[in-house]
Amino acid sequence: MYAPDDTIVAVATPPGRGGIGVVRVSGPAAAAAAAAVLRDGHDLSPRRATLTSVVGAPGLERALDHVVATYFPGPASYTGEDVVEISGHGSPLLLRQIVEAVVRAGARLAEPGEFTLRAFVNGRMDLVQAEAVADLIEAVTPLQARVAFDQLEGTVTEAIGAIDAALFDLTARLEASIDFPEEGYHFAEPAAAAAEMRALRERAQALLAGARAGRLVREGRQVVILGKPNVGKSTLFNRLLGAPRAIVTGVPGTTRDLLTETAEVDGLPVTLVDTAGIRKTADAVESEGVARARSALQVAAAVLLVLDRSRPLDDEDSALLQETAAADRVIVVNKADRPPVWDAADLPAAGARVTVSLRDEADPSGLRRALAELLWAGEPLRDTPTLSNLRHIVLVERAAAALARAADAADAAAPEELLLADLQEARGALEEVTGKRTADDTLQHIFARFCIGK
Amino acid sequence: MGRSPILEMDTYDVIVIGAGHAGCEAAYAAARMGARVGLCTLSDATVAHMPCNPAVGGTAKGHLVREIDALGGLMGRAIDAVGIQFKLLNRSRGPAVWSPRAQADKKLYGAWMKQALDREPGLDWIIGRAGRILVEHGRVAGVALEEGGRIGCRAVVVTAGTFLNGLIHVGPETRSAGRAGEPASHALAESLKALGFRWGRLKTGTPPRLDRRSIDFSRFEPAPGDETPVPFSFLTEGIDRPQVLCHLLHTTGRVGDLVRRHIGRSPLYNGQISGIGPRYCPSLEDKIMRFPDRERHQIFLEPEGLDVDETYVNGYSMSLPRDVQAELVRALPGLEDAVMLRPGYAVEYDFVQPTELHATFETRRVGGLFLAGQVNGTSGYEEAAAQGLLAGINAVRRTRASEPIVIGRDEAYIGVLADDLTTRGCLEPYRMFTSRAEHRLLLRIDNADLRLTPRGRDAGLVSDARWNRFEGRRARYERNRARVRRTTVALDSGERLRAAQALRRPEVRLERLAAQGGLALDIAPGERHVDLASVETEFKYAGYLDRQRAAIARARRQEDLRIPADFRYAGVPGLSREIVERLSATRPATLGQAGRVPGVTPAAVAVIGAYVGRVGGSAAGDEGVCKQHVTEERPRPARAGGHGAGQRGPR
Repeated sequence: MYAPDDTIVAVATPPGRGGIGVVRVSGPAAAAAAAAVLRDGHDLSPRRATLTSVVGAPGLERALDHVVATYFPGPASYTGEDVVEISGHGSPLLLRQIVEAVVRAGARLAEPGEFTLRAFVNGRMDLVQAEAVADLIEAVTPLQARVAFDQLEGTVTEAIGAIDAALFDLTARLEASIDFPEEGYHFAEPAAAAAEMRALRERAQALLAGARAGRLVREGRQVVILGKPNVGKSTLFNRLLGAPRAIVTGVPGTTRDLLTETAEVDGLPVTLVDTAGIRKTADAVESEGVARARSALQVAAAVLLVLDRSRPLDDEDSALLQETAAADRVIVVNKADRPPVWDAADLPAAGARVTVSLRDEADPSGLRRALAELLWAGEPLRDTPTLSNLRHIVLVERAAAALARAADAADAAAPEELLLADLQEARGALEEVTGKRTADDTLQHIFARFCIGK
Repeated sequence: MGRSPILEMDTYDVIVIGAGHAGCEAAYAAARMGARVGLCTLSDATVAHMPCNPAVGGTAKGHLVREIDALGGLMGRAIDAVGIQFKLLNRSRGPAVWSPRAQADKKLYGAWMKQALDREPGLDWIIGRAGRILVEHGRVAGVALEEGGRIGCRAVVVTAGTFLNGLIHVGPETRSAGRAGEPASHALAESLKALGFRWGRLKTGTPPRLDRRSIDFSRFEPAPGDETPVPFSFLTEGIDRPQVLCHLLHTTGRVGDLVRRHIGRSPLYNGQISGIGPRYCPSLEDKIMRFPDRERHQIFLEPEGLDVDETYVNGYSMSLPRDVQAELVRALPGLEDAVMLRPGYAVEYDFVQPTELHATFETRRVGGLFLAGQVNGTSGYEEAAAQGLLAGINAVRRTRASEPIVIGRDEAYIGVLADDLTTRGCLEPYRMFTSRAEHRLLLRIDNADLRLTPRGRDAGLVSDARWNRFEGRRARYERNRARVRRTTVALDSGERLRAAQALRRPEVRLERLAAQGGLALDIAPGERHVDLASVETEFKYAGYLDRQRAAIARARRQEDLRIPADFRYAGVPGLSREIVERLSATRPATLGQAGRVPGVTPAAVAVIGAYVGRVGGSAAGDEGVCKQHVTEERPRPARAGGHGAGQRGPR
């Protein structure tokens, strides 16, 4: 996966045109490569932005562009190696030429994630932080960015490290009891040891308690909008997006396929799915749309069921209320601007209900709140280290389970070596989170998530 | 049998230098394998001498002895023959950490060992002082004696113990000696140094010896052994020697006062000693100075034999001046009139950093040169013997150009020992602990034979008699396991369930189930303990054992991924210079070993793994490989290659 050549180069800014674009070079020959392609073989002073120009190949006279170059000598750089960043004008063509020039000067193209991998290998960050870099880059809501940045700052690493350190201390004492039996006493009293294990398990559980919210923030949720034709589903879709994405007409059956867009609800990335109105129809295209709407219900985390209050509820409404009864749902009682035929309070169904006029309310805040409450499920993001990555969660769960087994075994007066087997497993799992230990392929999997240049 | 040292170029296959615990096992193993062996020792009166504790075994050490025995070595049979008090340690815990320990009649121990060696027709004694290792073209050619004379051979096992530049301290007195009364080896030390090995200096110590006749034992708490001794060797069916008592006493505040008053006269505390001592076996000075809060420390009085007057004061090792030692002895309640026969001492000695060795105990620098025992920085008779055994086996295999035998960490404590030493090196005397074995629950005394006897048989160490006995025992084990799986038993509560399920309950014991009838087990009368324990444990701890086996399987890929001998770490991106240097010096054979080299991070391992996996075994080029570290082309250890299944244990 990672070739042994020492100095790597890639465009660090997104593909496409921009005001500026950055080429990043890292490795022992970074400064030399930069000197070869920068005009007059510039000696860059460390950590100082230098205005210069770049040539198409070492030794060429003709400049490609004016650039600002900054040299970060290792180990106090992103990767821990010598790094040079060259900022040029943001033309894809120009940036590619700069990369080619650096390659001619002896570097090679970086693999995806290789800059961050090097930062990890060189001890500039641990695995949680490296993953947080990817999350931060991919964040689409401010909350996502906040969680990722917290992890980059090391809050999760610290919390896990503290549990691991306490566990290390406990295992050392239990080991001593086995290895020095002639001393005739327990270096850790069994009852006290069981209590310590429970306390550590509580700490792991506390981390996991925020994990549902963490995953929610990181991964978002899919929310499907269901209802009969012409009850206002596409209007709801557009209102939540804040943009007229779906075509809205008075003609029933306007939406025929699934429409999917990402909206932000209370900081959560929500994948909204607008669906065809559910009704019996002879139209082949429309009936396929209805089938798709029903299958969208199967995979969605939550449902917004839209009903029209200005008309009596009919069999199809009832059927939908039944079909979605088991799902997490908000019942959207629409068309509050018209005379009501029934009242939301009379609905013989479970679930939050919001009465609203989607036609009149540009930003239906009550509805947003109800949806947010449904998604958070009473577990808002706490101001504590938050696990958001499934890999971390699974490992911490494994540690908590091993700690629970150990504590139970200690209660049953199991000998130390059996407790230690579980405690060691717990330590192994915790250290795998931060990368103090790694399982095969974990790294490749993690760094494969990056685009080139990160 | 005695042989003149003057013979020129009398060729042996293997010369073993030193006849301590490592040397005896090495020479015996080599001779059993049919090699012509010269065992070079200063005197055949101190064969398998116990200069410190007159005991064999202890936690984890007892495991090592069992494993030595399972492979066909001597130590287990020797201690069973001459042991005068047997105790199974950690009995209150589970069978994985049960460790046998026994007091030895130390004179008889040496005599027994000498006799066993004398019985080997291929073994000659060379009474003399080895002075120089003769090396030609990077390979061992022979040994030159200090008295004159060169003896040719194809492999050498150096088991020099504490003799290399040994220096004994008793207070301000120092004298050059390897052990009390035996001169140190300077020429051999210089010869090894000249070969370029990295060195260190360690320290160990021993307590004063008292005259038994001057001790009133009625003043102490008796410390008896087990009523039914559990032997070390799988061949021993019973212990018939008379069993004796040890005695327990405790230090008092007066001892602490005396040590503190005279601490300036302790070579350990006044700068006279520079070597590093073992933290886990602290001298009296360390106990008092470093643990001022401990009110008292345990002391055991241990007999050194049935008809021996010397009594060993376990826990009282020190290097204070003789007069202070005598005062400290008399300060112990009950020893007011005790006569000190000889004082304790500290000994400093040179050792070779064992990272200079392959896991076969052959040095990386000189083909055919093996080092084993305390010279590698270990402490303990058992650790020494285990190394000697492996070194002896591999020395012979070297002379025959057959694949070396390497034992894995998941197979035996011996494997843990070899791997720890050769990948991590020593910063203090290395002692085995059960906590060093990450697969501890699988490495038990009750299954040492199942794990290792087939390996010993492959090596040519296991006699037909032992093998036949083992095959019977293995067949019983398999049969009994099958019966436990399929037999339904009734518990006291009346509940009926499979014996395999019942055994998972803490209170249910296999022996009882069998005694109640209904579960017919096949037990050999003389092997009852082993037959029951190995079957019971497999079921009682099935959940734990399954998890540990799964962990081994997960780690297997990393453990088995070979790093080419000429792999260029400098070419791997992102490895710090420190890591490159450490790995280039240690040259781990597998990725698993690389991960255990101190300072090597998992990230580095993952990157190396990705790169090794990609370039595979192809030559990574010889540029950048430090010439000193290049080992010549030689057969590779079978265990680590991933195709060495034929060499693996019974699992």
